[in-house]
Amino acid sequence: MNLPDQTTHASTEGADSVRWDTLIPGFRDPVHDSQATFRLLLDALSRPARLFRLQLAHTLDTGGSATPVAALAALYALCDFATPVWLAAPNQTLASALRFHTGAPLAESAADAAFVWIDDASCMPQLADFALGDAESPEFSATLLIRVASLTDGPRLRCSGPGIETTQHLAPLGLPPGFWSARAELAGLFPCGIDLFLICGDTLAGVPRTTRVEEA
Amino acid sequence: MPSSSSSSSPPPGKPSHLPEQAAARRAWLAILARVPRATLEQALAAALPGGLPQYDWLRAPETGLAMVRGRVGGSGDAFNLGEATVTRATLRLRATDGIALTVGIACLLGRDKRRAELAALSDALLQVPQHHQAVYAQVIETSATHIELERETQRRAAAATRVEFFTMVRGD
Repeated sequence: MNLPDQTTHASTEGADSVRWDTLIPGFRDPVHDSQATFRLLLDALSRPARLFRLQLAHTLDTGGSATPVAALAALYALCDFATPVWLAAPNQTLASALRFHTGAPLAESAADAAFVWIDDASCMPQLADFALGDAESPEFSATLLIRVASLTDGPRLRCSGPGIETTQHLAPLGLPPGFWSARAELAGLFPCGIDLFLICGDTLAGVPRTTRVEEA
Repeated sequence: MPSSSSSSSPPPGKPSHLPEQAAARRAWLAILARVPRATLEQALAAALPGGLPQYDWLRAPETGLAMVRGRVGGSGDAFNLGEATVTRATLRLRATDGIALTVGIACLLGRDKRRAELAALSDALLQVPQHHQAVYAQVIETSATHIELERETQRRAAAATRVEFFTMVRGD
């Protein structure tokens, strides 16, 4: 648009990575839908391990891609030009949609990303490979959005911590073995750490770095 | 006060790195950004007697602010001139009757969403070989002449108010 020449070239190159023929439309009502999604994500992190359902899921076109509608909405709502996104598995449809609708750059490696989409948790990198932030700016840590096969049928987890009155149970299915013990090891680094959203279809649960998770 | 040159409308064909097709598209987008809504409606109706083709929104018309930048003296350091109200839209023609999926974009000053829609549609149709000629003749060529004429009138009106000072007799 009204940018100096150099920036225009850069954005033109970025636009080249967009596949126009398979590009999917974004939010139907960008302002209100992204606000509603943001509110849901905020609630999910404030009330950890509780299940939240995305009400506007039916209005969002996933274009036949396998990406769950809640993940798509979350990425649309959270990402912008300042938040590099890393896709654990190459996904042309999702990459194009994010480039076009949010302007978010696609990160080259897991460590550079502010948001990470993990479609298949069984082959995800170690948790310590993601950005954890540092003591002065723990907010520069990665937020992981992980697809799970179910949020209620997996091994039972007992969660406690801020936002949970006593304990809250969650049963995600499809996380790799040792995932929760690896996450527990990061607790000592607080305030650094990683925030998680576990996503299944149009439902998600937030597990922020402050939540203690025990395998029940 | 530094004089400014908005970089929003680079002279057509100036960037030599662009392939010919992209340069042509840039030129017609620059014209589409200036065509009034009524003219677009009429011209498109005339170019497509069979009615407007079907399309899907990739980005429905939305209005926002864009920073307009200028350069000091026209070629010096860049500076922010101010924000302008801009409406943008992106649509994709459906693949029917031998027309491939084609994406049209529009980015216009102002808040007229219908105008953005028509401009994006024109951009898409200009990329379709079957429609290019008709749309180019109806929308771009007539408007280009009209815009140039308007500019010329404005230039003359401004030139008429120019005052030149000169000294007739120097009092020594």
